[in-house]
Amino acid sequence: MSDDDLIEEAASAFRPRDPRDGRARPHPAWLDLDDAGRQAAFDAAARARPLEAALDPAGLSTTARAVLARIRPR
Amino acid sequence: MTAAAIDLDGELGAIVAGDPDAFARWVAGAEPPLRASLRPLAARVDCEAVLQEALLRIWQVAPRCRRDERPNALLRLGLRIARNLAIDELRRARGLSADEEALEVALARAAVVEPRAPDPLLRRAIEECRRALPQKPAAALEARLESAGAEPDQRLAERLRMKLNTFLQNVTRAKKLLAACLREHGVELEELT
Repeated sequence: MSDDDLIEEAASAFRPRDPRDGRARPHPAWLDLDDAGRQAAFDAAARARPLEAALDPAGLSTTARAVLARIRPR
Repeated sequence: MTAAAIDLDGELGAIVAGDPDAFARWVAGAEPPLRASLRPLAARVDCEAVLQEALLRIWQVAPRCRRDERPNALLRLGLRIARNLAIDELRRARGLSADEEALEVALARAAVVEPRAPDPLLRRAIEECRRALPQKPAAALEARLESAGAEPDQRLAERLRMKLNTFLQNVTRAKKLLAACLREHGVELEELT
């Protein structure tokens, strides 16, 4: 996969969870990126989340919805 | 388009009482400043994972938060939680070297971003731009939004019968097209972060 693809994947809100304690772990794509790629993924996520929030009826980004799903499982 | 800074502690009483809807409203305002505070460590720790854990921790410890004479007491507590989790993660990954202690200082001095109220005009502009997206980028973006971090992109791509790299390129294209469309409406994405 190209660096651009890795950056896009790492910029998503999906994070694997540690089977032992349920904590969110680093995305495998993030682990494959160099420092510049990781910074780019951070910036891509920071630009995307306000857009996601503006598109959501409750004003929540995918990060917020991922966390809230853990607080109030469906 | 800029919105006024707000005090999110209006939700604190309901959050302390265990109301997840109040916490959702708080998160909507608190996420951008919490994320921005982690930027100095973006190359060292996966800030998305740290941020999600920090938000969960904030929900758990909110009953211990007390309002004071300054606004955003829970956000200030949250900033400390996020910073400490990021440093813990850094220590766990490689140990905190002298260089990384400098990062700890950088974290403490990270740009302060104040929470902002949502902008209804922005919402309308984004929705309009989203409707103008071509089919495949629109479908990829929709899948990301619907999943809300619950599934890996590989699974979303399979559902859309796309290869993973095609799916990712469609998401990127959707975001670029949205950004270009918003620019035509006078909105720069950097203003939103």
